Amino acid sequence: MKLPILTIVMTTIFTGTMLTMISSHWLLIWIGLEINMLSIIPILTKNQKPRSTEAATKYFLTQATASMLLMFTIVFNAMHSGQWTTTNIDPNNMIVSLTMIIALTMKLGMTPFHFWVPEVTQGVSLMTGMLLLTWQKLAPISIMMQMFTSINSIILLLIALMSVLVGGWGGLNQTQLRKILAYSSIAHMGWMMAILTFCPSLTMLNLLIYLMLTIIMFTMLNMNTNTTTLTLSNLWNKSPTITMMILISLLSLGGLPPLTGFLPKWVIIQELTKNNNIAMATVMAIMALLNLYFYMRLIYSTSLTLFPTPNNIKMKWQFQPKKRSLFLSPLIILSTLTLPLSPVFSTLN
Amino acid sequence: MLKIIIPTIMLFPVIWYSNNTMIWINMTSYSLMINLMTLPLLNQAGNNSNNFSLTFFSDSLSSPLLMLTVWLLPLMIMASQHHLMKESLTRKKLYLSMLISLQMFLIMTFSATELILFYILFEATLIPTLIIITRWGNQTERLNAGLYFLFYTLIGSLPLLVALIYVQISLGSLNYLVMNFWFQDTSSPWSSNLLWLACIMAFMVKMPLYGLHLWLPKAHVEAPIAGSMVLAAVLLKLGGYGMLRLTIILNPMTKIMAYPFIMLCLWGMIMTSSICLRQTDLKSLIAYSSVSHMALVIVAILMQTPWSFMGATALMIAHGLTSSMLFCLANSNYERIHSRTMLLARGLQAFLPLMATWWLLASLTNLALPPFINLIGELFVIMASFSWSNITIAMTGLNMLITALYSLYMLTMTQRGKFTYHIHNIKPSYTRENTLMSMHMLPLIMLTFNPKIIMGLTY
Repeated sequence: MKLPILTIVMTTIFTGTMLTMISSHWLLIWIGLEINMLSIIPILTKNQKPRSTEAATKYFLTQATASMLLMFTIVFNAMHSGQWTTTNIDPNNMIVSLTMIIALTMKLGMTPFHFWVPEVTQGVSLMTGMLLLTWQKLAPISIMMQMFTSINSIILLLIALMSVLVGGWGGLNQTQLRKILAYSSIAHMGWMMAILTFCPSLTMLNLLIYLMLTIIMFTMLNMNTNTTTLTLSNLWNKSPTITMMILISLLSLGGLPPLTGFLPKWVIIQELTKNNNIAMATVMAIMALLNLYFYMRLIYSTSLTLFPTPNNIKMKWQFQPKKRSLFLSPLIILSTLTLPLSPVFSTLN
Repeated sequence: MLKIIIPTIMLFPVIWYSNNTMIWINMTSYSLMINLMTLPLLNQAGNNSNNFSLTFFSDSLSSPLLMLTVWLLPLMIMASQHHLMKESLTRKKLYLSMLISLQMFLIMTFSATELILFYILFEATLIPTLIIITRWGNQTERLNAGLYFLFYTLIGSLPLLVALIYVQISLGSLNYLVMNFWFQDTSSPWSSNLLWLACIMAFMVKMPLYGLHLWLPKAHVEAPIAGSMVLAAVLLKLGGYGMLRLTIILNPMTKIMAYPFIMLCLWGMIMTSSICLRQTDLKSLIAYSSVSHMALVIVAILMQTPWSFMGATALMIAHGLTSSMLFCLANSNYERIHSRTMLLARGLQAFLPLMATWWLLASLTNLALPPFINLIGELFVIMASFSWSNITIAMTGLNMLITALYSLYMLTMTQRGKFTYHIHNIKPSYTRENTLMSMHMLPLIMLTFNPKIIMGLTY
């Protein structure tokens, strides 16, 4: 794509999300979401393959449905409560709270509206997939964080629990890395939404750490354009350092102490327990082990075993790598080694 | 405590900046110096604990285990020298870095006051061990072994996290020094039973309890020698240590909840000892014998009498040293014939008489010969369980018999009898191997003269 066009489209995506995040009038929020969705469609169809077109279509249809549901809810809320601000939604209005949650979780890709996430992520390139799984989550989560007091917590907890289950079980049979990261996104969204009605700053914490880890994973996978587990298993030959970084990042994504990825799970379990939701905390914690299983499978094939390679030498000679990996080193350190700094994250609010 | 932790962390630069000829020498000598600094910790006041800060303390329970951990690091390094000879320098340094990070986590685990810190470090020991087992193990089964090890431990310990957070919220603090004064309310039987189960199951999986022990033979057999040593000697004791610490807050429920576990342990003791009698794989035999000894420790901890606590602690230290020594002996066999089958290298006494002496001593301590501390531990546990219920003497006595049987079976199979014809070209014992065995044996013998330091909290 030509650079001026790419610049315009990226700026529009940025503008859409920013518009959603700074508005308090529902109409502007909706407009921001629409701008965001429409301008990401050309990014999705950047490489002109039928798979990308199919992914873009699925994405468009799902997000448009969600936007329409959101518009219905906005108008209904305006009709019944007479005002258009986000912070004054009446929680007793059952239609509004239900359809609001459905619309926003459909935007985020949570169960039972998660079916588009693996297929869309698989159909686009790695960096576009990263954009999809990281930037696109910001706008709906910012809406939900503004209105968290009026969300029906039972429905949201149910959706969150189902997302954790589906994210765990769905990723077990995958070898395509983009689908694995898509199911990981579904599960992490589940964790984020579970704590939203109790303590939204923890949603922010989990989002931040998840964003860092996903950006790292996609960047490292993009370095050698690894899209399947099979190509990932040849990585030890080209760059052993990246295999070690993938090991640490995946263990952090799975939530193992003493890495930073453990911190969101720990504080979310703590908040859920404080609110007497011990069964939910235990079930979610154990279901996160399913996620860890398929990360472990990836780790086995990349760093802990040496797969046979087409060449017979210890390290493959190659040209200077041309793919830029912005901020990889600080992001890796931030997302794996900062558990001792966990009180710092309480400044997030 | 930082005087032990910071030198251990500083071992990382020692490795990465040493050159090829000096890494083993540097590592071993500096870890022996750390040993020297840890020795004063053994001077414990009877009932009280040495509180270094709000975060670290050392007790008469944790100091023998801490001493065992730091003693084991130079031994692990000495034992790994042979099989890492052919690896590239970076891989040697990576392996040693894994060992040091494991050591650092273990030292902090045994001296943590705050139980959540204990939990985080308890889980943190999993990652280096997993990497050691799956990356440097020798057979294909090591991948399965790593998965079993990781997931068995994690499934047990996630409910522990939830339980610890619940206790912190209802009590206010999880600092061990504060919790000694907590008054337990047993409001509802269901929830207090679930709390007990959540707290205990993590350590039961780690010990391991008989029904949950499937990860242990896999992990011990597939790990390289340093991995087997640290697993058998220290990581299993993490389970016992955790249980001993948590029994304070779990108190009234343990009298009822412990019954199924005691029964499983008594039965499991006999079962795993009997399996040992029919093993062909040497490391697998030692692994199952670990399960059997740890079952005695679980019985002791669940019975909660002063003598049983003393026996549990003594047995943990004694078993740590003995089991690690047996793994080193099995590894010396493996390095010569590259097979773990007992049958393939018999009659070794004719070829390696000094090693046969170490085999004899290790087997004798394994079967709890007087006056070694293994006997003291087992005797205290058996006497305490007899006073708890007279019938248990049948099981524990039978276990002692079968333990003697398989230890002597292992000894006579590998050392006595006619040698096999194909082992005529095995190398004689290295000085390094003899040093290794003597460094295992000397603490065992010397502790016989003063077992007071390993008797733990209730001496």
